[in-house]
Amino acid sequence: MVRGSKCYKVLQARGNANFRCLISPGCKAATEAPAEGTILRRNAAPISDSGYCRSFNYAAFSSTKCSQPESCTRIPLNLMRALANRSIDVSSLGASSSVQRTPVCSGSTGLIGSGGGLQSVRHLQTLAVTPTGPKIIKADTEETIEVSVDGHSLQIPKGMTVLQACEVAGKEIPRFCYHSRLSIAGNCRMCLVEVEKTPKPVASCAMPALPGMKIKTDTPLVKKAREGVMEFLLLNHPLDCPICDQGGECDLQDQSMVFGSDRGRFTDTKRSVVDKNLGPLVKTVMTRCIHCTRCVRFASEIAGVPDLGVLGRGGSEEIGTYVENLMTSELSGNVIDICPVGALTSKPFAFTARSWELKSTESIDVSDALGSNIRIDSRGPEVMRIIPRLNEEVNEEWISDKTRFSYDGLKRQRLNEPMIRRPGGYLEPVTWRAALSAVAQAVHQVKPEEMAGVVGKLADAESIIALKDFLNKLGCENTWCEGIGANIDADVRSKYLLNTTIAGVENADVFLLIGTQVRKEAPLLNARIRKAVRNNRAKVATIGPPIDLTYDHEDLGDGTDALIQIAEGKHPFSTLLSKAQHPVVIVGAGVFERSDKDAVMAVVETIVDQAKVVRDDWNGFNVLLLEAAHAAALDLGFVPGVTAKLLSKDHLKFLYLLGADDIKPDDIPKDAFVVYQGHHGDRSAYRANVILPGAAFTEKEGTYESTEGRTQQTSPAVPSVGDARDDWKIIRALSEVVGVQLPYDSVSAVRARFLAVSPNLFRVDELEPPTVWPQSITPRSSSSKIESSPFIKAIDNFYMTNSICRASRTMAQCTSAFANLKQI
Amino acid sequence: MATAVRATMTRGSSASLEEAKHRVVDFFREVCRYLPSIMDRYNLYEVITPAQLRSQISAQFRKHSDVTNRKVIDLLVFKGQEELQYCLDHAKQRHHLLSTYVVGREGMVQHNKLGVLDHGESEFLKNFYQSNSL
Repeated sequence: MVRGSKCYKVLQARGNANFRCLISPGCKAATEAPAEGTILRRNAAPISDSGYCRSFNYAAFSSTKCSQPESCTRIPLNLMRALANRSIDVSSLGASSSVQRTPVCSGSTGLIGSGGGLQSVRHLQTLAVTPTGPKIIKADTEETIEVSVDGHSLQIPKGMTVLQACEVAGKEIPRFCYHSRLSIAGNCRMCLVEVEKTPKPVASCAMPALPGMKIKTDTPLVKKAREGVMEFLLLNHPLDCPICDQGGECDLQDQSMVFGSDRGRFTDTKRSVVDKNLGPLVKTVMTRCIHCTRCVRFASEIAGVPDLGVLGRGGSEEIGTYVENLMTSELSGNVIDICPVGALTSKPFAFTARSWELKSTESIDVSDALGSNIRIDSRGPEVMRIIPRLNEEVNEEWISDKTRFSYDGLKRQRLNEPMIRRPGGYLEPVTWRAALSAVAQAVHQVKPEEMAGVVGKLADAESIIALKDFLNKLGCENTWCEGIGANIDADVRSKYLLNTTIAGVENADVFLLIGTQVRKEAPLLNARIRKAVRNNRAKVATIGPPIDLTYDHEDLGDGTDALIQIAEGKHPFSTLLSKAQHPVVIVGAGVFERSDKDAVMAVVETIVDQAKVVRDDWNGFNVLLLEAAHAAALDLGFVPGVTAKLLSKDHLKFLYLLGADDIKPDDIPKDAFVVYQGHHGDRSAYRANVILPGAAFTEKEGTYESTEGRTQQTSPAVPSVGDARDDWKIIRALSEVVGVQLPYDSVSAVRARFLAVSPNLFRVDELEPPTVWPQSITPRSSSSKIESSPFIKAIDNFYMTNSICRASRTMAQCTSAFANLKQI
Repeated sequence: MATAVRATMTRGSSASLEEAKHRVVDFFREVCRYLPSIMDRYNLYEVITPAQLRSQISAQFRKHSDVTNRKVIDLLVFKGQEELQYCLDHAKQRHHLLSTYVVGREGMVQHNKLGVLDHGESEFLKNFYQSNSL
């Protein structure tokens, strides 16, 4: 174990004021640990943060108890990773003392913490994000080596590359092909540096740092080498920057300004390459390609679809799919971000805006339950594009294609004024006053037990609590959230959340996926599991509908038979599960809607108990919720109340749908009065008697809780359309018209209500650790009989899951393009 | 070229309050003389009668009935002449006249009356009916 003093040396030796990060004065005496309870917090920084290169990703670290916050400057993420991978005493970086005590082992598979509680394990994971690709050279954890960068000597852990050593020293090395999350290719040669006693410049990204190396990054030789590389790269790169969508955020453009020559010597004709068709999402202009192969490595390493490859050699080298083939991954849009030039750009965004005209808003995605951090780029009232934001604990720097491309649905099928259905069957636009009094009239004509409130997939926590309070005040407890089943257990938080956390899944070594198609339900969680499979050689078994998960897995059948066998210990997989160090069981959306859900969950709990999936330091029981509204709805108790008579649906006379679109019109009695509050004229709007237009997630500040229990907020990027209102305001206004006025007039007052009902929703950007796993406190409801029917597919078409997607043209194109392919 | 002559016409300031008032009345009469042609060219017969329009315009005059400073009166008359000139030159379009003289400024603000009327609602509900941003 490297003690803090050595770590301090590393940091000190960099000498650059910009990187002098010792977080708090307490850390300065590095042998002294910070005070008990100091929490290391990571503030996500936008991806395009550094002045000139998108590839340099930073995460800013600060200590919440830091007495001198202004002294908290940045630590390059790569350094954090490198340090963590070599298990340097993290206490010197300001982590809590419980982390310090945690024994840590390292190796090519990254960090596995044990002991010290789940909380500390999570903090370690923050530091220990292992790159998927590169095999980290196994190093004796105690060993550091001394190298010198531009005359400053510094101690670095053994196994770092020259490029990482330069980063530790605060020298930024230009690069195109090197990406910290991908394997090392070393083919762009942009990162050339001079090393003493070598005959020629070396590619720093691929060269391991050796003891006593004298690295020089600012000599005339290096300058000339970079200039030469840049000249070669620009030989065949077209001069179409003015019409290129990457213009303004292009690594090649930026680096040629900084490192390139002011003139070229090229007079020949440029080569041209035929564009490839990668589907409706990614536009290719292959002549612009500089063959960094980042897209190829992303596709094969992270997305797990070996669709892209390099064809030809030398002057005829091309990136392509060999035979005409679409890129069939839910993560394919990320190749747009990692492409350093304009070869791969967004097809829907093509020629619509320039990057500098856009207003950026940091927000949260709602298309699945993971709560990916996104940046909404808008121009005026229009959302122009959505790109990911760095958050190591949620989405790293990736987002799914649905997140990225369904934004055009926000412009179509919008409800922009209140409407009332007239006797002829047509919807008449009316004022808010008329619409609300029409609803109030209907409310007064029915008994509370004949009412019901249903929350849809995209509802924010504010509107959920408002609707719950409103209906409860009327005496109605007949409330449910669509997509999580009627008899969900919302009592114990750890029984409906992803307890292992999204980042924690990486550390697991055996997975049992029950009734879930992770790839479709949460593509980024699937990427994390894939990471565990690649790095830890984790074994994965699925019980549920067969699906290509992009990694090797054992299909144990689609019914409950295998589940019962594992619970009885008769299945070979049960020994694998019980021997696992970090087993993970994920229960997915295929289970929620089953009539024998309680019995299935009882069997799962038996497995969890037998295999000790939940331990003191590891909680491997996970429920993967399907939609963004689910976790908050369960935390707020938006489930059928105890007094709710489980009437058959025929008795309902008044139905309040808060963006609930999956309820079938046949399930609603003909004479029921249906109020639809939402932002899209989707399925349920056709049945509604009154339509109350709400705001979409890009237009409001809404609180959402992800499936791992992380509370996050969206921020308004564009104004709401027409006469629409924020959702909680509509319910608050309606409550007054009905005569049961809700006691909050501002959004902060609604959030104050969270404090009373579910305080974790008040603490934004924090992950509330799940409650303790109840040991036989709750009686197992194994009374119901388990059926052997197969688990259903919760998502049939990945691209069409909510009202925004269904209004999106891009998503419709994806649906038709991928309809014939069996995986999607 | 009556309009061309009018556009170049300027006068010195009034010597007395009486003269200023006289100029106001003269100007009002002038406006009234032009009313039929304005109604015609902006196609206003379908939305308002000449008598109504005349009373709308006289209301604009009365708005300033408390002004006693002759220089201010002169300036208001000048601005009125300018406005008339714009109407005659077609520097305005139909909706400009509609919004200023036919429905009036207040009528153009949506739901304004609804918000003002008091039905015993809370402040929240009043704001809710008016706009999402209040």
